[in-house]
Amino acid sequence: MNEIVTSLPVSAPAERRAKAAFTGQNGDFRRLITRGTLLELATCGFYRFWLAARTRRHLWTHTELEGDAFEYTGTGRELLIGFLFALAILVPFYLAYFLVGLEVERLKAFASLPLVVFIYGFSQFAVYRARRYRLNRTTWRGIRFWMDGSGIAYACRAFGWAFLVGLTLGLAHPWREASLERYKMRHTHYGDLPGRFEATGGSFFKRGWWIWALSLVPVAGYGLIIGSAAYAGMHAKTGEMTPAATALVGVGILTGLLSFLLIPFLYGAYKATEWKWWLEGIRFGELRVASDLRRGQMIGNYWKLIGVGALVTTIIGIVDICGAFLAQHLGVDFAAWGAQMKAGHIPPLMIAAYLAAYLPLILAISIVNRIYLVQRIWKMVVNSVTVCHIEAADAVVAKGDLVSALGEGLADSLDVAAF
Amino acid sequence: MSVAAIYFDGESSRKHAVTLNMAATLEITEDGKDLAAWPYGEIRRADGPKNVMRLKSSSAAPLARLEIRDPAAQVEIGKLCGGLAREAGDDVSTLRIVFWSLGAVVSILAVIWFGLPVFAERVTPFVPASLENRIGDVADRQMHALFGTKTCIAPEGVQALDKLVGTLTRTAGLDMTRAPAVLDTAIPNAVALPGGKVYVLKGLLDKAQSPDEVAGVLAHELGHIAHRDGVRRLIQDGSSSFLVGLLFGDVTGASVALTAGRGMLTSAYSRDAEAKADLFAGDLMGKLGRSPKPLGDLLMRITGPQTDNPLAIFASHPLSADRLAMLEKNQVTVTGQELLTPAEWRALKAICQKP
Repeated sequence: MNEIVTSLPVSAPAERRAKAAFTGQNGDFRRLITRGTLLELATCGFYRFWLAARTRRHLWTHTELEGDAFEYTGTGRELLIGFLFALAILVPFYLAYFLVGLEVERLKAFASLPLVVFIYGFSQFAVYRARRYRLNRTTWRGIRFWMDGSGIAYACRAFGWAFLVGLTLGLAHPWREASLERYKMRHTHYGDLPGRFEATGGSFFKRGWWIWALSLVPVAGYGLIIGSAAYAGMHAKTGEMTPAATALVGVGILTGLLSFLLIPFLYGAYKATEWKWWLEGIRFGELRVASDLRRGQMIGNYWKLIGVGALVTTIIGIVDICGAFLAQHLGVDFAAWGAQMKAGHIPPLMIAAYLAAYLPLILAISIVNRIYLVQRIWKMVVNSVTVCHIEAADAVVAKGDLVSALGEGLADSLDVAAF
Repeated sequence: MSVAAIYFDGESSRKHAVTLNMAATLEITEDGKDLAAWPYGEIRRADGPKNVMRLKSSSAAPLARLEIRDPAAQVEIGKLCGGLAREAGDDVSTLRIVFWSLGAVVSILAVIWFGLPVFAERVTPFVPASLENRIGDVADRQMHALFGTKTCIAPEGVQALDKLVGTLTRTAGLDMTRAPAVLDTAIPNAVALPGGKVYVLKGLLDKAQSPDEVAGVLAHELGHIAHRDGVRRLIQDGSSSFLVGLLFGDVTGASVALTAGRGMLTSAYSRDAEAKADLFAGDLMGKLGRSPKPLGDLLMRITGPQTDNPLAIFASHPLSADRLAMLEKNQVTVTGQELLTPAEWRALKAICQKP
């Protein structure tokens, strides 16, 4: 075989590179998410299946590679059916879990730990199957992506690695990520083009170790706050608080609080590092991915999320306070509510007021979260990508069958599904 | 009319720059070679980016796609194909999703409201006593975690409590394996755990003015044990929170609206159970020749007068005034002897004092 290959005249086609692009408009996504969130409320949450499908369709159809947009073919109905099947599996499981839990909890308070471990393994199985489903519904140039491999084998790996990560205080995390991603990508295909993952845990560690080290600063800051408060509490009791000691405690708490400002920087830097490392490890045959994602972009996005979240909370808070004043002016007696609560009644007006004040806030926060944590990050990541050797994907032949959304249903019920 | 378009045949990722001929069918040709012919009636919209008309055909390969960018051609194709009016993507209209979701919510609430009480009623007899005792042990640990582990142990007081409970359980024909205890907390209440453990909280003893009042409360709690309310309640609460939690997921808004709803549902069961336990207490006190009315008096003293309220359905217990009235109906002339001697009563009141 080798002889034939080497004896062929070398006529490798010239390398072609293509930049990926996200063509969606921020406004379109904002409208889609706002409408979807309101519909979720109106349907007591059932709309979440259709919102998830719509979100993915929007993101993929506005993602372009060499001028051709991707397409996501999954539907809300599939997700609902997958969820119902997952329920049928989980109901007896939860019941058994409850009974077994009762039995071991009686023996020792922490004896139910193995069950938590079991649930963790099960959720990893769900994570794998959910990815398989989502990838299976993603197509480009009329060819679908697909995955084989076993969710159980993956769950066993994930479990072993979780144990190691715990043992090494998180230092084994990069190698865990690399190993799990290698398993996933080894079983990922685009038509008949097999995928693989070539980034290593070592390269992830080299890029990100300083983030891990710096994250000890806020931890120390937290310790400083607790320590200062304890010191103040101890001396306030004995009445020995000198002005100097007061100043010391103040400085301690302030320094601790200031160190918390580091968190968005560190988290943003970590996410950017992780994304870039992951993208650059992806291979499909000869095809490989490069990314010029910058840490500053990701950090900026998290600060925007914090800023917009704070702004929305402040505005709604002000509106709520004005509403409360207006209600008092119109003769609503808030003091009477407390008295009624004590007597074991909940005034109906109080429930209404609570909903009126609280619902807009959680809806707004959920919309802001979805915009900045889903669409903006997607856009940033897609726009950073350049695909090298894209000619490898020129004549890929279709392969791989449709799979069910059961895994996604399980992940949804276990509350581990990503966006 | 012929139009330039991009075609993917769904078998290979090869990109075909094609020409469309709008003849009897939509003919797709590349450099004069026929690639496919799509009947107009089978052409549907596929999900695509803005300004691009992406089409599929129900008779072609599922992922075969035709992309038309020219706006004039898009209009032309739209006229020829009847099936393009519907938006791509969703298989169900939003209105139908809303309609069926509300239907599902109503049916789940109906199951919780009507189905679960019957379910719990039927299942409770099948829960073996050993399992109930185990649940009781777990609940016992939670009680201690909640109120601290300070059990009152003044010996005369414990003796008085044992005597009072012994009289009540003998008369009721209950077989008690767990000794009652008093917990040192100011909250005026008493609790019966699954498996038969009764806790009286010290606050209740402080408010009580006669042995009959405490006996009434104990009889009420014994009623819960006799009816196995703890297990029934566990089954009902567990199942309803399971249904609500699992079906609605942890979704914005839904949980808020449903927390209020669930509070109402579970307290409705418990109101029924409380009324039955009151009946049991009245009956038991009657057998001892004592009046159940002091129980009502004690309740009124603890809760104070409660105004009637349309939201009384949220309360877990019936209103004290209603309970007093109910207990007064069972009023009997006192024929039995005092349940505790004055000395024993003083000892019980002082059970939490250190010697």
